[in-house]
Amino acid sequence: MPRPEARTITFTIDGREVQVPENTMLVDAAAQGDVEIPVFCYEPKLGHPVGACRMCLVEVEGIPKLQTGCSTPVKDGMVVYTQSERVKTAQQSVVEFLLINHPLDCPVCDKGGECPLQDITFGWGGGISRFIEPKRHFVKPLELSPLIAIDRERCILCYRCVRFSQEVAEDYQLVLLERGAHSYVSTFDGHPYVAPFSGNIIELCPVGALTSRPYRFRARPWDIEGAGSVCTLCPAQCNVTITVRDERALRVLQRDNVEVDDGWLCDKGRFAYQSFHVDERITEPLIRDGGQLRPVSWERALEEAAAGLKRAGAQTGAIVGGQSTNEEGFLLSRLMRDGLGSPHLDSRRAGPLALEHHRALADPKLQARLSDLEFAHAVLVLDTEPVNDAPILDLRLRKGVRQHGLKLAVASPHPSSLDANAALSVRYTVGNGGVFAAALSAALSDGPDTEQLARRAGAEPEAVRQLAALLQGAGLSEDSTGESAGEAPAGEVVVLWGERLTAGPGGAAGVQALLALADGLNVADVDGAGLLELPAASNGRGLREAGALPNAGPGLSRLDGQAGRDTRAIAEGLADGGLAALYLLQSDPLRELPDRELWERALAGASTVIAQAAFLTEGILEHANVVFPAEAYPEKEGTVVHPDGRMQRLRPAIARPGSVRAGWQILAELALRVGLDLDVLNGPMASRQLFDSVPFYAGLTLEEIGGRGVRWQERDAVLEFPAASAEAAPEQSPAEAAQAPEEDAADLAGWRSVWDAPEVEYSPALEFLFPRERAVLPLSYSGGERI
Amino acid sequence: MTSVHRFEHGSRVPGWDLPADLEKDPAEIPDPATTAVPDDLRSEIEAHLALYPDHRSAALPALAAAQRVHGWCSPEAIEQVACVMRVTPAYLESVASFYDMLETTPVGRHSVYVCTNISCSLCGADELYAAVSDAAGDDPDFNVRAFECLGACDIAPMASVDGVYVGPLTVADVPQLLEDIRAGRPVLPEKQLARRLVADPNANSQEWVGENRSPAEGGA
Amino acid sequence: MAAAAPPILLFTDIDQPGLNTLDVYERRGGYQALRKALAMTPEAVLEQLKASGIRGRGGAGFAMGTKISFLPKGSMDKYLVCNADESEPGTFKDRELMQKTPHTLIEGIIIASYAAGANRSFIYIRGEYVLQADMLDAALHEARNAGYIGEGILGSEHSLSLVVHRGAGAYICGEETGLLDSLEGKRGNPRLKPPFPANQGLYQGPTLINNVETLATVPAIMEMGGEEYAKLGVETSTGTKLVSVSGHVTRPGNYEIELGISSREIIYGLAGGPPEGRQVKCWFPGGSSSPVLTAADLDVPYDFNSLAQAGSMLGSGAIIVVDDATPILDVAMKVAKFYRHESCGKCTPCREGTNWTVKMLERIELGEATPMDLEIMASVQEHIIGNCLCVLGDAMAMPIGSMIAKFKDEFEAHIERARMSNGLNRAGVADTALAAQGALEEPPGTLLAHQPGGEQAPGAHEGAPGTHRGGI
Repeated sequence: MPRPEARTITFTIDGREVQVPENTMLVDAAAQGDVEIPVFCYEPKLGHPVGACRMCLVEVEGIPKLQTGCSTPVKDGMVVYTQSERVKTAQQSVVEFLLINHPLDCPVCDKGGECPLQDITFGWGGGISRFIEPKRHFVKPLELSPLIAIDRERCILCYRCVRFSQEVAEDYQLVLLERGAHSYVSTFDGHPYVAPFSGNIIELCPVGALTSRPYRFRARPWDIEGAGSVCTLCPAQCNVTITVRDERALRVLQRDNVEVDDGWLCDKGRFAYQSFHVDERITEPLIRDGGQLRPVSWERALEEAAAGLKRAGAQTGAIVGGQSTNEEGFLLSRLMRDGLGSPHLDSRRAGPLALEHHRALADPKLQARLSDLEFAHAVLVLDTEPVNDAPILDLRLRKGVRQHGLKLAVASPHPSSLDANAALSVRYTVGNGGVFAAALSAALSDGPDTEQLARRAGAEPEAVRQLAALLQGAGLSEDSTGESAGEAPAGEVVVLWGERLTAGPGGAAGVQALLALADGLNVADVDGAGLLELPAASNGRGLREAGALPNAGPGLSRLDGQAGRDTRAIAEGLADGGLAALYLLQSDPLRELPDRELWERALAGASTVIAQAAFLTEGILEHANVVFPAEAYPEKEGTVVHPDGRMQRLRPAIARPGSVRAGWQILAELALRVGLDLDVLNGPMASRQLFDSVPFYAGLTLEEIGGRGVRWQERDAVLEFPAASAEAAPEQSPAEAAQAPEEDAADLAGWRSVWDAPEVEYSPALEFLFPRERAVLPLSYSGGERI
Repeated sequence: MTSVHRFEHGSRVPGWDLPADLEKDPAEIPDPATTAVPDDLRSEIEAHLALYPDHRSAALPALAAAQRVHGWCSPEAIEQVACVMRVTPAYLESVASFYDMLETTPVGRHSVYVCTNISCSLCGADELYAAVSDAAGDDPDFNVRAFECLGACDIAPMASVDGVYVGPLTVADVPQLLEDIRAGRPVLPEKQLARRLVADPNANSQEWVGENRSPAEGGA
Repeated sequence: MAAAAPPILLFTDIDQPGLNTLDVYERRGGYQALRKALAMTPEAVLEQLKASGIRGRGGAGFAMGTKISFLPKGSMDKYLVCNADESEPGTFKDRELMQKTPHTLIEGIIIASYAAGANRSFIYIRGEYVLQADMLDAALHEARNAGYIGEGILGSEHSLSLVVHRGAGAYICGEETGLLDSLEGKRGNPRLKPPFPANQGLYQGPTLINNVETLATVPAIMEMGGEEYAKLGVETSTGTKLVSVSGHVTRPGNYEIELGISSREIIYGLAGGPPEGRQVKCWFPGGSSSPVLTAADLDVPYDFNSLAQAGSMLGSGAIIVVDDATPILDVAMKVAKFYRHESCGKCTPCREGTNWTVKMLERIELGEATPMDLEIMASVQEHIIGNCLCVLGDAMAMPIGSMIAKFKDEFEAHIERARMSNGLNRAGVADTALAAQGALEEPPGTLLAHQPGGEQAPGAHEGAPGTHRGGI
């Protein structure tokens, strides 16, 4: 459904007139009028208000009883009093009631200093307690999960955590037991609360009842600083606030960007900060000497690396990893092309795509915003599993289904955790996403190939037709009959597709099918509809636009000369001698890329392997000749691009450990030593160069990106986007591109979930998650396949 | 020195004072392949599920059915119900622990709910409860509970024995009461509510004969 | 009251054997009212109900006709829920109806659903009423076989499904939105109002909720006509009411009275009054949720408005009589413990306030309180009233508050006496003053078991671990 429009109305609060959109809740409306109404259980992100804590009672003229501000929508002409004696007495009494069973834990409670209960008691409480009875006691603190400790005595039964578990994350593991004064929060039969988003309840809890075990007793709010940045551990790129004490990241909190993460974080983003400070982190440059990597000075390492690169010259390949910023990708591409004359660099895992296809897919007219996932009439999740590929999107889709009547359709080879919420789930065989898309677009136009294509993709033709009907019916009311066959849908449809749709030899067909699908679903230039890609790499989109592709320059510009090798071809070249040197920018092929066996040969066959890495994962440990320590994302400075085109800024929050240097600096120094002056002396200069080189970023500044980011499709420079020319696009028959069903293992090994990453492996708090992910179970909390 | 007791929580849900077992997997919707549900329980729950537009409405009847089969709402019982209803066991535990009649600890087979609310208490229910409790003692077959108003204040003090209301009871009735339960006989037949006429003298136009008897005399 | 027989509409020959069966019920003229209603339009039926002026018999006292007219028009699923979760202490009138004449209720539900346009109905009956629920199940089975429930009832366009849903023991599920949540399979927590159940009720659809007695009166209203019904009773409280009398009376039970007769008539005339030699100390006119009245109020007419003016409420129509041999503290303690046990725990004032009140009463009982605690307790009750999500908080705070106000001297005397026997107040002055008042004697019937020297009888109080069950 389209975003709700609201007219502005005027109401009076404490004698002042305030104008707000109609039906805003009184608490929010009062805030807009500079009046604070205290709340505990009210959290708009959790859905409908419950009015349980009674803290927000205010007097509304004409209604005899005091009303809860959190559940009263403002109407035109409403008169509200928050300072009358009645209201003050009620507020004081509620605070008194809340405190009677609350333990005097402030000195030892993690929440002290940033505790809403403390603040509200101070602001609206009576000041004395008349309660002299014994309080209710629980055994405390108890482990609720490896990450969360629960202290039931402190719990004020505001219901936020159970509502999150039940209504937002929908895992329904955290519940209230018993009744009345005996109620407490718990899980079933001693099971731990383990879920991809369990950490959010720590931030939701207004008291110190749910606390982070890794953060326990680490700091007080007056010791710490907060620094805003963007998490680059997965393509969702949530906005975070990093809590810093003495140059260490102590925890990660949300920074509530409704266009990106909607105020939630996944457990990986929340707890993987520990990996930045472990001993296993590489902090010095390393050189392989006699089979072992040993630390050396920067000069030495840079010399060695430059020498290796100069020897290889144009026979160098580069793999750009997902955590690299746009600037790093851009500078590396300049180093390769301008410095070494080599076009062989790639940031995609899925294999080569023609430039025209890149341009067609990135066309601003086809692009959906992330928040459209919530408000569209229908969303098709195609060949991706959000909870494994970009977890926060899973929550956004559930929210859309739950609150806005979104019709969700899931098409994937494996059972998905969203199947229970989907109006329709369709399965096809592994690797045939592109063929399936072709079948679907045939079904949309009621074409003759539907049956044949569906079978090639390994899907039921009837299911494909039902899916087409569902999407075409998007936006129509329930009563209208299904006479829309062959017509475009009336409402907005968003297709959330995964990069593996365009993988492998069938990639071109996949793109074609996707574009045909976009056409059939009428998403072009419709606000609220469009395509949204989930790239495999966190900054996949940004790196492509920065030019880290074998066949495209910055801004998806055409390159002179022959196109370079793509990822797989680089491996082949290294294995058979066609290429000599390899630059790995925050990437370990053995951990991240498909075709492990090929890469083992490639790494072994390369004469020089230079890696910029934070951890000595196996590929680097065994094969790298020179290792430069890489920054973790809280140390980085630069920009990344969200899958929907939002440019976001990374700001350094903590100091770099040891002798770690900035990524752009390493590349600049290397370039100098191979004879190219990149003319970059600091991070902003690198950003400026990037912005100047990409036509559709023209005029962009770091200030403009700011803390919330800006979508380049919404700026004037979007007109500079190079249009795709249909004639030059390669054609491929989808039927030919269909693959026979492969073994599951082959597919799964190539497409790892974001939970299977070094950051999770090396964070002690997340250790319990790691073994299950190594076995690559789909992390679906409604039961996936068991291998 | 205070003699006011320390109000300790003491929940009737076992495990309230224990940390979560971190070795366990999170409790998701039970997999039908690994959860064995007795056939008659399954068909009873499915019959309830068919009555309501929303499957969750069957939670109370389903839990009551599982309690009849297992004796109490054990974790196993809850998992079986959760498997048939396709919900998480935590949800069912949360519902079960809210209601008084759903037992979350193992209890005796025969439930004796002695009402100790205001009307019955005014007529001596507290002594009655103490007497029943003492007489039952440790017998594992009995589940003697002081209960809230059972809606039978006209036969105060009274008890509900496996769902059958009997009253007004005296302390002297207690041995016979327990005997009847143990023997499997109808409990104190002459004191059962089912046989009682309405107290309103203007209600009936004639004396209805049959199983009915006149209301017992006396009140408090 | 005049010597003429009071009007009996619901209890007519209620003990006739077999009245719970369709056969006997139909022979007595049952389901004729339904036929009459189906021959009218739903609007006409609604007019009759409005004309009758019948007010909800479950406690809230809201006019039924008005409530039905709140339901939106349209062809969506509409629900009718019969609230048979009779858990208000002292109330047992619905039990009588459901057990002995279940078909009256079913007929009333069908007619009301016709007037409201509801197509799905549920009877939420408390789980403790096993016999009554079985009766309803059997009656429903008969009604369905006879075509009174199902598609196209008696050849009309009206269809209705009826499900008997058994509760599992929670007083809060008698509150209408708590009932809805419980029927939806969740914990029985009440919801915010607005939105009201008429708009967003069961499964978020339009819902009409009525008490058993209210619905069971509908056939009688249809038979005699709404205006005739309105002639009974008094102007703002029309018709007859079932009253459950219990406590210290010689003839406890259910009585059908015409609204507006004096309360003395009910307590002494019908129920026989307290036993020989005892006087009424206080009485609850509307179940334990109503503020207490004293012997001085016995002549208040028993109807909604008069009782409200007297400072109490008619509520569910359950009179509990306490005689003068009972310490007021025991009454207060029982009532408070009930509400603490039954509080759902959702909103702060009720959950914490009931808990605090019980703890203070316990302290008074044990002799560790002072008169200031009475003030604090009274203040806590005031802080609860009006601030809670539902009326359970008020249901405790109002009676307790009224007891403290009306029996303050007795509370204070008890505080003193308990303190002294606890060894906490051996001052000479207080001793003689209270001795003069005769307040040093132990009142009969007390639950307290003091021994000299301040020792408490062991095991006298629950609250030790694991004793939440039983809940008193």
